[in-house]
Amino acid sequence: MKFTHVRSYTGMLGMLVFTMINLPNSGSAQSPTDAVMMEGKRICVAALFNQDKWDEYWEGTLLRSNGNIGELTRNTYSVMAAVGITDKINFLFNVPYVTTEPSGGQFKGAKGLQDLSLWAKLELFKKQLGPGTFTTHGVAGLSFPISNYLPDYAPFNLGLGCTEGQVRLMLQYLFDFGTYVRVSGAYFKRGTSTIERNYYYDTHGNYTNKVDVPNANHSLFTVGQWLFDKSLKMDVTYEIFNTIGGFDIRRQDAGFISNNMEATSFQVQLQYFIPKTNGFGVIANYGQVLEGRNVGKSTSFMGGITYQFGICKSKNEQQ
Amino acid sequence: MKNLKIPFLVTIFFMSFLISCDEDIPQNVAFEAYTFAANPDINAGDWKAILLTSNEQIAIAAPNDVTSAEYKAELTNLKNTISNLSGDQKNIVQYWTNNPILRWNEISRELSAKYNLAPAPNADGSYPAPNAATPDKYPLFPFAHPPYSCRAFAYLAVAQFDALISCWHYKFKYNRTEPVLNDGSITPLLPNANIPSYPSDGATIASVSQAMLTALFPLEKEYLIKKGDECRSAFIWAGLNVQSDIDAGKLLGEEVAKVALARAKTDGMGAAQTPKPISDSLKQLAFNTFGWSWTNQEIPPRPVGITPYFGKVKTWAVSNIEAIRPPVPPKPGSAEFNAAADELRKISDDLTTEQRKIANWWADGLGTDTPPGHWNRFACDQISSAKLSPVRSARVLAYMNMAIQDAGIACWDAKYFYHYPRPIQTMPGFKTILGTPSFPSYVSGHSTFSSAAAEVLSHFFPSQAVTFNAYALEASNSRIFAGIHYRFDCVAGLDLGKKVAEATLAIAKVDGGE
Repeated sequence: MKFTHVRSYTGMLGMLVFTMINLPNSGSAQSPTDAVMMEGKRICVAALFNQDKWDEYWEGTLLRSNGNIGELTRNTYSVMAAVGITDKINFLFNVPYVTTEPSGGQFKGAKGLQDLSLWAKLELFKKQLGPGTFTTHGVAGLSFPISNYLPDYAPFNLGLGCTEGQVRLMLQYLFDFGTYVRVSGAYFKRGTSTIERNYYYDTHGNYTNKVDVPNANHSLFTVGQWLFDKSLKMDVTYEIFNTIGGFDIRRQDAGFISNNMEATSFQVQLQYFIPKTNGFGVIANYGQVLEGRNVGKSTSFMGGITYQFGICKSKNEQQ
Repeated sequence: MKNLKIPFLVTIFFMSFLISCDEDIPQNVAFEAYTFAANPDINAGDWKAILLTSNEQIAIAAPNDVTSAEYKAELTNLKNTISNLSGDQKNIVQYWTNNPILRWNEISRELSAKYNLAPAPNADGSYPAPNAATPDKYPLFPFAHPPYSCRAFAYLAVAQFDALISCWHYKFKYNRTEPVLNDGSITPLLPNANIPSYPSDGATIASVSQAMLTALFPLEKEYLIKKGDECRSAFIWAGLNVQSDIDAGKLLGEEVAKVALARAKTDGMGAAQTPKPISDSLKQLAFNTFGWSWTNQEIPPRPVGITPYFGKVKTWAVSNIEAIRPPVPPKPGSAEFNAAADELRKISDDLTTEQRKIANWWADGLGTDTPPGHWNRFACDQISSAKLSPVRSARVLAYMNMAIQDAGIACWDAKYFYHYPRPIQTMPGFKTILGTPSFPSYVSGHSTFSSAAAEVLSHFFPSQAVTFNAYALEASNSRIFAGIHYRFDCVAGLDLGKKVAEATLAIAKVDGGE
């Protein structure tokens, strides 16, 4: 099983809830942000838990705390599946259940199903080049809310409440001795979100219950290594996310889903394929937001179990 | 590569679906110009004004006759201007329409929303306060909370109303016919009302509104100059007025604003945000009298709630606030209180989608134009669909906003007299889906504002009374759904608002405009 980062960016107090649902990155399963392909007619599933916390956020560019939020904890429980249609075409699914809970103040947290995500992933190019293999992948995805959670409840909202489409291009070079370098860039096209009032102020009045959620760019730079006969994988990722447009949270205002959200962060990930377990693996991820704008300065931990069934088997050489 | 075709098509389908989901986000209400020629309120010059003691308190000189060379030169200028209008200028005309009261109301609501932000705490846990003398120093002045906003809406509407009564008086006194009647080659871009054009009602509205809003939102001076200039020009570009019509309207509007602002200076608002010792003494007095008091629950706590002395601000119609003060609320811990608290817990635990929607629809909290702003929008929608003349529009908005401000004053009197604690203070562990405002609980502001507004609007638009009363009840219930108020806060607020509206309507009924 090999899942990588599936990230979910959620407006929090207008800050991006940098809710990384960091999915495992290893073995033979795969994620929308790694370079792994499932073989045809195989299914892999993962059960993942991610906890994301912050007690400071950027109000515009001002890093601050807020006693009326305290520390905000966001738990995400997800089930993910990857299906190999052919060796070169995979489909992926993810369903997260999210809870938000502030440690301070008088606000109720929120909980519920968030957005269903679907991706199609294609291997566009693969070639042995020098001492390793160069691959190019393309990913197209779509996500949409699957419950009536309220997007207009920052920073406790479960998600952005809009349909999102994404396209991603990924380049990877894997040395034969197990080191890999991967770069990917994605564009997120967001639709409109519906809120429960017909007027809101961003930088001017808006006479509608529709919010145009800003589109976004997302880039990942990963360096990793396979160890112990390709049963253990570890990698480090530097990540840049930014919306295209959006507005800053004003002083002491609440955040909003159309804020200008930026975040740079790093992730460290370990994935282990347990030998002689017939396809079981474990995964762990640690993430930290380093710099941001209208997002929480969050720290996240993720852990999960991956399992592939049917005729799936570990295909590390596909890296 | 053949097997890649399907995913590519899927991608294209996804993206085109998303693009088609993008919708226009309107930044203005979509009002359209309408003719009020059927009911131009030709006797409005004799209506009783709110602040002006006579319809000639502001002197407006007689205009040049329409046969004079001066007027003919103005007509020639007007025609030259009209024949060279840009697309932008035509759009500006359509934006303002021939009843710019609606746009100025919209602008006032937008400013209310823009300035409705509470000060952030200092690093040491204290809070700074806005200062009218240094409005651009953080926290910016004003903090347009509900008391500030309801007063702003009231002063704007009253000044507009008084200015238009005087405007209508001079129109029919001097009886200068409209440009289109003096030169058939002029085709107005907006419907003409077939009433005299001097002074320009559009320029009167523009100038009185610009002056009032500039005083109320001093940091918006430049923006309001632009809006005022645009609005006055729009009446020339529309072919409805010549320059001397505009100049007379401008003078009238500016002078009436001075009268209204003189009242505002001495109405007690300057002392409403009391220093901490006074705030503490009100709290102590309530504790000594009733055995309870409200404490702000924010972290760090705000030492003074919003405008403890707003209840002492000068009213428009209610002669004795204490005479309509609501009865003593149930003591926390009493059976009646416990029943109300249980209701809140139950609603909070099993909140329905419909209840959540109602709570959010009426939230009108920080960063919004407040419940009074919400009611102004209803009023404007109604004015537009009833095709009221500008002067009658102003009358509706004046009485509604006078009632809303008096409702606020009466509500605040009760709030700081009883100093009743909020549910988040009396009910340990109770959490809400909206922020609890920084002032005592009893009685509910939403309920008081809304019932006063609904009562006045129902008087002016009786066919819509059922709707307005339903809105008021929903606004009131929204606070229970959100966990912000006990039911007894809301019931008493609705009742109080109604009493305030009766006092306001008693004036409206004898002003000559019924």
